[in-house]
Amino acid sequence: MITSNNLLAKIGIYSFLIIGVLLSIAPFYWMFVGSTLQSGEIFHLPPKLLPGTNLAENFQSLSESIGITKVFFNSMFIALTYTVVSTLISAMAGYAFAKFRFKGGNGLFFIILCSLMIPSQVTLIPLFEMMVSFNWLNTYQAIILPGLAAPFAIFLMKQNMKAVPDSIIEASRVEGAGEFRIFFSIILPMTRPALAAVAIFQFMGQWNSLLWPLITLNSKEMFTLPVALSSLIGMARIDYGQVMLGTTLATIPIIIFFLLLQKHFISGILGGSVKE
Amino acid sequence: MKKYLYGVLILVLLILPACSNKSSGDEIKTGDAKNPAGTITVWGWDVAAATLKESVEIFQKKYPDVEVKVEDFGSGDLYEKLTVGLAARGSGLPDVVLMEDERIPGYTHQFPQGFLPLNKLGYDKYKDSFNPAKVAAVQDKDGNMIAAPWDIGPAGVFYRVDYFEKANVDPDAIQTWDDYIEAGKKIKEATGAQLLPIDISNYDGVFQMMMQQQGLSYFDEDNKITLQSPEATRAMSVIKELYDADLVFNNSGWDGIVTATVNGTVATIPYGVWYTGTIMDQAPDLKGNWDMFYLPKFKESGTRYANVGGSSLLIPSTTKNQSAAYAFVEFFTTDQESQMLGFEKYGLFPSLKDTYVLPEFTANSEYFNGSPIFKRFAEIVEEVPKIHLNENYAKASEITSNTQSSVLLEDKPVEDALKDAQKQLENEMKR
Repeated sequence: MITSNNLLAKIGIYSFLIIGVLLSIAPFYWMFVGSTLQSGEIFHLPPKLLPGTNLAENFQSLSESIGITKVFFNSMFIALTYTVVSTLISAMAGYAFAKFRFKGGNGLFFIILCSLMIPSQVTLIPLFEMMVSFNWLNTYQAIILPGLAAPFAIFLMKQNMKAVPDSIIEASRVEGAGEFRIFFSIILPMTRPALAAVAIFQFMGQWNSLLWPLITLNSKEMFTLPVALSSLIGMARIDYGQVMLGTTLATIPIIIFFLLLQKHFISGILGGSVKE
Repeated sequence: MKKYLYGVLILVLLILPACSNKSSGDEIKTGDAKNPAGTITVWGWDVAAATLKESVEIFQKKYPDVEVKVEDFGSGDLYEKLTVGLAARGSGLPDVVLMEDERIPGYTHQFPQGFLPLNKLGYDKYKDSFNPAKVAAVQDKDGNMIAAPWDIGPAGVFYRVDYFEKANVDPDAIQTWDDYIEAGKKIKEATGAQLLPIDISNYDGVFQMMMQQQGLSYFDEDNKITLQSPEATRAMSVIKELYDADLVFNNSGWDGIVTATVNGTVATIPYGVWYTGTIMDQAPDLKGNWDMFYLPKFKESGTRYANVGGSSLLIPSTTKNQSAAYAFVEFFTTDQESQMLGFEKYGLFPSLKDTYVLPEFTANSEYFNGSPIFKRFAEIVEEVPKIHLNENYAKASEITSNTQSSVLLEDKPVEDALKDAQKQLENEMKR
């Protein structure tokens, strides 16, 4: 039985939450509606709140101006390759730092932590010159390789690897498992939440990254989504319908990726906080 | 299971070389000044890049051995790439780059050896083909022509014909800023629309136009700051009067100005000629309802003319194919056909004076109330006062915007605010 007092409280809470939901969804909805309108229509007063009929035209002009399919592929390829490889590297490094005693291990970890404190602007120009001398400008590897060993991801993985009991590793060794087998079949499954968290961080970071791809990429066929979208904002003429559609397309994968991994994500963030 | 790891390793090794680009072994082929050859890269943005790209075909009729690759970025992005490239001693830079005129002093100051002086390559023979204010804008402080003039933005006041009619205001009768304010009050009463948009705390474009009308920028010929001059006081006072009469619509950024244009929040917009393109693009249904009159003048002194925006072409000094880069820059900026391409299709207003007699310029515009709007802009080009800019332009503009906002929004007296601005700019320039 629900008392009327209780009911009132519930209504209050729910209406509050509904307003919150509406407020956070509204920009996305507006972005979606905008992608179906002509540029001029977006500025009409009162605003058009229902989808228009210009979606196909906007897509057409978006394909013409930035080659959206190739750009989408570039972003996807770069972000996925980067996420897979860098998550693996940080898991391995984190495992090594957490569970192996070796000479200089602590010093090395300290150096990695220190590199977290160097702002990326400082390394930008030397790194750029390096890419130029490798003749790597306008290539995928110029974007994927430099950031593969991410200090923050290594740090996060190390903290999570610490929570794995030594006894499990020892038991596996006694059973005759090799080090790689232990890592891939035992350690990785146990740290799945942390892996998911790192994967989301890396994917979002790479997917949204603008400055570095902008500097290293030169031709339209190689652009990633943020760079291509940013090139839509010209001096005086902006086709806002195109921009809205482009941003909508850029947002969808992130939403999907996040929804798929979100339950791991939250437990991953909490993962390192409890010490047993 | 070691197989696992080897699998991943092999995959990585396979993927990475596969996506490397064939750009390596590109051999650089160049010709000489008479017969330029080889490939050059040009950086531009937006419709300017599109114009450059389309003009290559015309260019190649004269120089068949030169390949031109035009790469298109947003303007902010282009500057970022350019700065990084120059800071990395020229690594990864193109052979020709587009730049807004107001940025030129900053770049030549920060990277004095960064760009080729075009006059030393023979460009000075074209000096008289462009208007004096533009030529002054592309010179460095030693008088070298560091850039080849392309487009300009003679300023005018775009206005809503229907609003003016409704309020019974004659645009031709607006001669001075006082007339403008009076007209604004009438229009507001009749239509409810405010007179003009100003992004109060971020953009001092109106102030800059008012200064140029009177022959000044933030600096005079001798690099002295002009913020405490009578001209500056006059300009800021008019802006204050406009605001006090509730005639200023405080728009937020570029998008805000476009919004105000489309939905009729404002009756006039003082801006450069290139804004015609935006009006036509974004407000097609207001056809026939826009027209233009020249900037009102100050009753004390000055002209009715100013310039907003404009860009030019530069050659980074690290180019490996100087002859082809120069050939392209020279051809593009002095060729009528190329210049008209950008004008007709994209509204990029050329500074090349001999284009102004062409029929495309003198024709009446249906969109702009049947008036020969481009001819009227072309007629004032020669009259736009020459002003002097330097590397502190960006700082000065920021400080003035802040001053504008303290005068309008915080009610600070104009004289005090400008005095503080002058002091602040002096301090920042000493650094």
